Order: sequence, then structure tokens, then C-alpha cells
Amino acid sequence: MKFSYNWLRELVEDLDLDARALGLEITMKTAECEAVEPYGQHLERVAAARVLAAEPIPGGHNRKVTVDTGRYGVRTVVCGAPNCRVGMVTAYVPAGTELPDGRIERRVIQGIESDGMLASGAELGINRDAAGILELEANPGDPLPGCVPDQILEIDNKSLTHRPDLWGHLGLAREAAAIVRKRLLDPVRIERLPKGPAPIRVAIEDFDLCPRYSALVFENVTVRPSPLWLQYRLQAVGLNPINNIVDVTNYVMAELAQPLHAFDQDLLHGDTIYVRPAREGERLTALNEETYRLDPAALAIADARGPVALAGVIGGLDTAISARTRRVVLESACFQASSIRKTSARLKLRTDASMRFEKGQDPHNTVRGLARAWELFEQVSPGIRLVGGLADCCRPLSTPPPIELPLDWLTRKLGRAVPEAEVRDILERLCFVVREGGPRVFLVTPPSWRATRDVSIKDDLVEEVGRMIGYGTIAPEPPRVACTVPPQEPLRLFLRAVREAFVSQGFTEVHNYSFYGEDLARRFALDPAEHLAVANPISPEQKLMRRSLVPLIYRNLEENAKHLECFRLFEVGREIHPQPQGLPREIHHAVAAIYSRQEGEGNLYELARVAQCLMPGAEVRPAAPRSFEHPARAGEIWWRGACVGRLFELHPALLAGRAALLDLDLERIHELGPEPKRYRPVRRFPTSAFDLSVIAPQRALIGEIEKLMVRLAGEDLDSIEFLRTYSGPPIPEGHQSVSFRLRVGAADHTLSLDEVGEIRARIIAGLRAAGYDLRL
Amino acid sequence: MPESALTLESALSELEARARERILAAATREELEAVRVEALGRKGTLAQISRQLGSLAAEERARVGRLLNTVKQELEQLLAARQAEFEQRELAARLEAEWLDLTRPAPGPRRGHLHPITQLQYEIEDLFTSLGFAVLDGPEVETEYHNFDALNIPPDHPARDVQDTFWLVNGLLLRTHTSPVQVRGMERFRPPLRMIAPGRVFRNEEVDASHEHTFYQVEGMMIDREVSVAHLIYFMKVLVNHIFQRETEVRLRPGYFPFVEPGFELDLACLVCNGRGCPVCKYSGWVEMLGCGLVHPNVLRTSGIDPEEWMGWAFGLGLTRLAMMRYGLDDIRWFQSGDLRFLRQF
Ligand SMILES: [Zn+2]
Repeated sequence: MKFSYNWLRELVEDLDLDARALGLEITMKTAECEAVEPYGQHLERVAAARVLAAEPIPGGHNRKVTVDTGRYGVRTVVCGAPNCRVGMVTAYVPAGTELPDGRIERRVIQGIESDGMLASGAELGINRDAAGILELEANPGDPLPGCVPDQILEIDNKSLTHRPDLWGHLGLAREAAAIVRKRLLDPVRIERLPKGPAPIRVAIEDFDLCPRYSALVFENVTVRPSPLWLQYRLQAVGLNPINNIVDVTNYVMAELAQPLHAFDQDLLHGDTIYVRPAREGERLTALNEETYRLDPAALAIADARGPVALAGVIGGLDTAISARTRRVVLESACFQASSIRKTSARLKLRTDASMRFEKGQDPHNTVRGLARAWELFEQVSPGIRLVGGLADCCRPLSTPPPIELPLDWLTRKLGRAVPEAEVRDILERLCFVVREGGPRVFLVTPPSWRATRDVSIKDDLVEEVGRMIGYGTIAPEPPRVACTVPPQEPLRLFLRAVREAFVSQGFTEVHNYSFYGEDLARRFALDPAEHLAVANPISPEQKLMRRSLVPLIYRNLEENAKHLECFRLFEVGREIHPQPQGLPREIHHAVAAIYSRQEGEGNLYELARVAQCLMPGAEVRPAAPRSFEHPARAGEIWWRGACVGRLFELHPALLAGRAALLDLDLERIHELGPEPKRYRPVRRFPTSAFDLSVIAPQRALIGEIEKLMVRLAGEDLDSIEFLRTYSGPPIPEGHQSVSFRLRVGAADHTLSLDEVGEIRARIIAGLRAAGYDLRL
Repeated sequence: MPESALTLESALSELEARARERILAAATREELEAVRVEALGRKGTLAQISRQLGSLAAEERARVGRLLNTVKQELEQLLAARQAEFEQRELAARLEAEWLDLTRPAPGPRRGHLHPITQLQYEIEDLFTSLGFAVLDGPEVETEYHNFDALNIPPDHPARDVQDTFWLVNGLLLRTHTSPVQVRGMERFRPPLRMIAPGRVFRNEEVDASHEHTFYQVEGMMIDREVSVAHLIYFMKVLVNHIFQRETEVRLRPGYFPFVEPGFELDLACLVCNGRGCPVCKYSGWVEMLGCGLVHPNVLRTSGIDPEEWMGWAFGLGLTRLAMMRYGLDDIRWFQSGDLRFLRQF
């Protein structure tokens, strides 16, 4: 929201802070002022100028124009504007002036030296008319009437969400006046509102949706461009000047935060304005020339024939003010904030009016808006007359109940004592009514413009006092509280340990998005229908909530493989599994990957080793490959009797190079582990070792052979270590020799050679019985 | 003819002299061993002389025997010394040959890197843990109730516009802030309560250099019998000083968040220009860092906590933005890029 510093100065008596200092005060005490920007600084140099001569320059529509500029003497410029003619008074900009679109330089155009330029309203930042140069009623050398350099304070809209009153200059001026302790100059003269019967009727169907609808009727209206000062002021705060009638409605909105709407009365049917829910199927072509299909959720302003405006959002095109308008119905109403917001959100139509109404406007303000508009109409449309009295349909306006403010409670909340007199002074400066409500208790009534939504409980008053004393005056202080152990989330600690484990093994952590598209899902054998889908995704690639971390890890591999020969990465994140009812299950997984452009079988073993670091004793069991896995390199990770993950190589068709992936269900692992620690007697007596080489078919599972040996060795086994495999002579074709070193011992004595021999013989016999040959 | 004592004595002297000379002259362990065998071995010279002792008279035998022992001991000592000398030399030579280039890069993978946001998150978790706060977790897919209603943001509240929401087909949503974990914290634990909740949040925004639809926040909340703005400022200063590892100037100004009253924006003196004004702080000298405030009584009441009995403060900190500030990052998209060239810098 843009605020004109000049405008604010008109509303605060003797405001002596400069714009930047005011911006800072507003930021610290009211709402964030994001920037203070100069506006129209060039206007100081612009002078009214009379065209003395205008000769066409051959070969184009430009003319060589001589102007009397008063201040700058007679100058020659080249001008291409179609409305440039001898005798007119227009705006002259001398060379060396910075205009919004660039610096004006003396330059030669078509052989003629142009000393400055004649400017349009758009070029000067006064309005948006670029069709021709300005036409003025002024004497050569005069400044442009009412167009002086200004400063624009840009206030963050978000910080005005709860302050309907700050959507107009008067509201911000009120804050400024309270901050600098100056008098507020209210531009509204409410006593001027006419008495007597109204020329139109207003029928409100539901006062909850429209608590108040006020209107005035004007006749003998002349529609024409507004005076320059008015256009300039609207333009400066970002509103588009249109014509005098519409500009006044916008001016009042920008000043009082009260949106107004003007209808051409001759285009309205009947003498009653209906405020009612739209009927199913009704249509309205709005001022933006879009046609909207309405339904009963939208509140309509209607005449005898149907909707003429969408309440609080936008007016209808059919009843709009035009050059032919002679009689005007001026609407100033108050609508239910949530209804306006709903309608505006559903139609995706946010207007200056809807933004204000959805904050909850003050119903007292409708008639103030009309009084102000009437006064301005008289200035911009000479001869305009009021018809009859005020039409004002409303339910009884309620006064907000007073809020009890215990001063000791206020001190506890702020953590700083504020003297009673200062609290009272602050609240009264902000127009609250303060009464004594008992010892050290105030009864505080907020002003109507703060009572719609913003201030209703004593906590709201803490803010009023706090911001005005300045939060910088509150000294930081540690609380005195019970020293207790906070509740723990063991899973969080486990996830931290997992991340640390991967990092210490050389893996770098990535963060991926929580969604992917249907195509990617299908590539990883995931059925899109089994995903939770985003209803309003940014793109189709971000539609499904991930059920697996693997697809996006695959993307990471693809991308990084472009730059790196080999790398390790991992992610710890949540899989989202929809449930028939309620929230989905969010299951923490870790996916780790090792990529190498060349040989990659070592990567799988490395991942198995890392898995075993996390889960001592975990084993890999072969598993049926899925479509995206290398068909001969896929397995499951089992630990403590449960399948907790998967180990595989990515199908080489998906990616050049080799990528091994480990996908672990961290929640399952966390539930299973860790193994409780218990002391077992240490073997005190020396152990003995021997090697065994088993001849096994080429694809026999070494893990199975190892398990068999462990079982056969039983209690005697101290440790077993895989040594190597060998194939080639003298091992028969299609076979391999698999060697292990076994270490055996007893708890209570040193095994004799004979005993070791017996154990070895037992294991060999067992292996043979299982069909393995041995290489002895 | 029996040898005379005299002859034996001179043989011993000669043996000693010759053996001593050869021991000292030996160049290798083999030569030394040869001398030992010849002089002291079972069939060596000394053994031969010893065998002849028997023919001497008892008195002479004793005298020559003593001499023999002396010669034997001396030669043995000399041999042992030379032996040790050789061993010493060989060991030195072996060790010298075992020279290793310790500057050669060590094999095996290097340590990986935690994501910069994870690192920052852990620092904050550790700080608050040390202050007696619980670190809580909440779902990323949330109910409208927890994300909005229970935080005093009813359905048609304009504050909902500020947070463009990803809605899911089943009516749930992706949490737009970590604040719903406040609500879940209050549901799980009764006051007094001190908690933080770091995590991933979502806003339906187009991605560019300064906007992301997925980013990280930390939520913090404290509920106790006496909780004031002064306490809140204390914790925020502790937090900021901890993150930036130095005394950092902050300022508190009014800010609007429906779930706190009063609400504040906390600004940090710009670290780039130290408050003098620069493009990073848009020449204001201050950078917006977090939103905070005293917990709105409606929020307490909705979670079954009596606001007349309990008070609270809460804050919400954008971890992603903080990480950008701390590391001087100009493009938010790096964080979710998965690009190791970026991630390995941290
Ligand atoms: Zn700066």
C-alpha cells in the first residue's frame, strides 16, 4: 500500500518529521514501511508553456514547435503529439530533467535542435494518458497546478492485514499524529450530509452480509477528466485516473479506506437497490469487461432487473459512469469481510475494494465517505446537485463493550512497568476511551475503526501500549522456571545418528522435494493412484507426494553424473503413504547411493557394509528384481528377523555408469533396535584357527555357505572370516572355491590338536552332507 | 706325551689373541659365526684344550682351568658385542628400507557433508536442548485445523492469503509453517512446556532465486505461569548471538501473526554492512529474521489451556533464509538442487 507523504501532511497538523523519519517511526510502532521513494521530483522543473508556432517537419509527423515557457524564455522543441497546436498551453520539460522514464537531453531530431520537450501526463507521472501532450489552463511559466514533488511511503500489505483503518491515508495519519503527539485534521465534515427523504430505496436481505448500505444521488453531473492535482495524487499512490466521478470515489477510498461505487442512475432500473445473494445462473459483466457467472454464495447489488455490481468487489459495466452520465447514485456500504474474501478468492478477482472489505471495515465510515465525496464532487464537477437526502439502510450500530485492562497484568505481560498515566495517555492518543474500572484497572473502549476485528481483548491492548513505548525499552530477562528434563523424541535422535553415520562413511546429504510427477513414478514401478496427490500443484512434475525417495535420488544421480566420475550421496526424508482415513503415514527412510562411471560392483558391497555399520549383523537376501533394478543385482536387507530395506544396482538402461542404492526404512529399524547390551564371559583360553575352502557352484550364495558353517561350528566358533573366492584350474568348470578362516575355542580350556581336528572334521562332514565338496 | 701346563697356557693365549683379532675383523655375521665355531664350538680349539686338562696335575689343572674360563668368557662377551653390533646395523638397514611417504593421500572415501540446513538446524536444536527445551516433530501433511483454525486463523481470515497453500485431493494440506507443531505439542504435553520444532514447510509459490515452495523453519514455544515480552526478547537474543557467534544487535517491531498477540518482527542489524545500509538490507541497515510474539489466548484456549493461568511466547524462524544470510547465498534454489558441487562446500 502506497502512502503519499504530502497527503499525510495535510492530515496531521504541523507534521515536522521528514518522510524517511516518519517511515522509521511507522515501522517501529505501527506497520512495516518497506521503502520511502521520491515521487515527481522533476515537477519542480516543469513549466506551463504556450505554443507560439508549430511547423511540420517533412518526412514524418513531427513538428518544430516554438513555445513561450515563461521561466525558461522562448524555446524550440520537436514534438510529435497529435494534439499539439498553436495557442494551447501545455507542459514544458527543460533539458537536463530526470523523468521517470529517463533523462531529457538537448538533442538534434531531423536536423532540428530540440531544447527540452513537451510532455504527456504519462511521461510526467501525473496520469496514464500517453495519447497527447497535457492541455493546461495556466499561464506560461506557471508550475503545474497541484503537482509538487512528493515522497511515497510503501507499507507492507501483510503488516496491514489486521488493520482495516490503515488502508486509507487518514488511518496512517492518525497513527502518525499519535506517535508525534500532533493534532489529526479530519477532512470529513459529516454535518454537511443532507437531511430529508432519500430519492432511492435500499433493501438489504441479510444484515450479517451487509450491515450498512448508504447512498447519495446527484444530478447535473459533468463527467470529464479530473483536475491535474487529483490525477497526480491518485497516480502517485498507484491508482489509475479515469474521470472526475470515478477518481473521487478512488480518492475517498485512498483517504478514508471506505470504498465507494458510482452508478449511472439513468441506467439503473427501478428506484430500489437490492443487496441480496446472487441467484443461481445470474451473470454480471464487470468493469474489467469480464463476465462472471454468479451463485448464491456471492452477494450482489441488484436493481429491478438483476445484478449491477458484485458487492464489495467490482461494479457492473452496464451501469458504469460514462461521458453521457448526468445522474449518479453513489454507494458507500459495509460488507461482511469473510463473504467478500470468499467471493473474491473464488472469482480470482482482487480489487482495491475487496482488499479493504475483507479486512472488516467500520460501518460508521459509510456516511463519512459520502460526506467527503460530496465535497470533492463540488470541486471537480461544477454545478453538481444533491437530490434529496441520505439513503441509509443499516442495522443498529453497536458500540464495542469496554475491555478490562488490569495494569499489573499488563506489567507481567510486557515484563516492564509502564506508569498508569502513560498507559492512559497512549491509549487516548490512539482514540481509545479510558475509564477507571477499579484499583489499577482501566476500562478501555476501542474506537469503532479498531473494533471490527482488530481490538477486542486485553491482549490487544498490550500491543497498543507495547508498541507505543517501543519494544526497545523492554530489557531482556531470562525467565525463572522449573528445571525439568524435557520430553524426548527418540526417533529424532536416531535420525541424527543415521545422518552422522552416512556422512562419516563419505556420503553427502541432499534435500529433495516431497513430490514428483506421474511419469517419474511409473519409471520406478510406483502406481500414481497409490499416491496422495496435490490438488493445486505448481506443475505436473510436482503433483504426487513421494512414496519413495528413490525417484528423486535418481535425478540427483543423473545431474551429478554430468560433473563427477564417482560420488556418494544420501537423503533422510519422509515417504508419504495415504491411509483410508485421516493423515497419511509419514515414514522416514534413508536412501544412499554410490555412483561410479566405470566398474560398480564394489559399490553394492560398500553399501552392504555401511548398512551393517548401522545394523550389526544385518544380512542381504536375494530378492526378485523390480523393473528399475539391475535384474541380477537386487536384494533385501534383513535385520533381527525383519526386512528393513533394499539394496540394488540401478538398471543400467536408466543411467550411464553404475549406481548402487540402499533404501532403508528407518522407522522399522528404530523400532527393532538397538540390541540390549549384556556381558558374556570373555574366552580366556587361546583359540585356534583353520581355513576351509568349499567348492560350490558359481552362483551359490556365499552368505548361505557362511551361515551353514556357523551353524555347524556351533558353540565352538569364536569368529569366521570370509577370505576369497577362486575359480580356474583345478576347480571344475562352473564352480568356485570359497575360502573362510574359522577360529574355534572353548570357554574353560585350551583346545587340544585332537579337539580342533574333531571340530574341523564335523564341519567338513556337515558341508559334505549339504552337498558341497571341499578343497583340502 | 702329556702336554705341560705351560704349553696349554701359551696355546690359550695364542687362541685368545687370534680369536680376538678375527672377531674384531669379521665383516659379516657368517664370518663371526665361523670364528665362534672354530674357537668356542663343540669341536673348537677351546674344547680341544679343555679335553687336555685332564692330564695335568690337580693344582695345575685348576690354574689352567681358570685361565681357560677367563678366555672363554672374554671371547663370548666379545662375540656377543659384535653380534649385537651386526643386529643393530641390520635392523637399522631394514627400517631405513621401510621408508613410507606419509604425504601420499590416504586411501578410502573422505567424510561426506551434512546439508547446510541440517547443520544449522542441529545448532539450534542443541542450543535449545541445553536450555531445557524439547525438540518435537510433526507431520508434513497436516489438517486444516492444526495448520490454521487452531492457530486462530479461521477459514475466511485474510492471513490465509499470505500463505499460499498446497491442498491435497483428500482435503488435507501441506503445512505452510511449523506452527501446527505448537498445537500438537500442547495436545501431547500439558504446561509448563518448552519446545522447538524444526522442519520442512511448503508454500504454493513459483520458484525463483529468492522464492521456494519447499523450505525449512524452526518453531519455538514456551508456556509457563509468568511469560513476558522481556523473556521473549531474552531468548531471541540468545538465539541470534548463538547463530552468529557474536553479540548481534536486534530490534523488535510490531508484526502481525494471528496466533500471537502482541506479535513482532525481529530484525537483525545487517551483517553485510553492520547497519550502515547496503543492497542486502535494502539500505535500511536491518534484515528481517523471524516473527514472534506472546501466544494468543485463543490458541491456548483451543488447545485446552486456560489463558488466565498460563502465558506463552512463540517464534517462527526461517531456517532457509537464515542459511542464505549466514553463508552469503544469493540463490535459494541451491538448497534443493542436490548438486554436490554446492553441498560439498559445507
Ligand atoms: Zn546492509
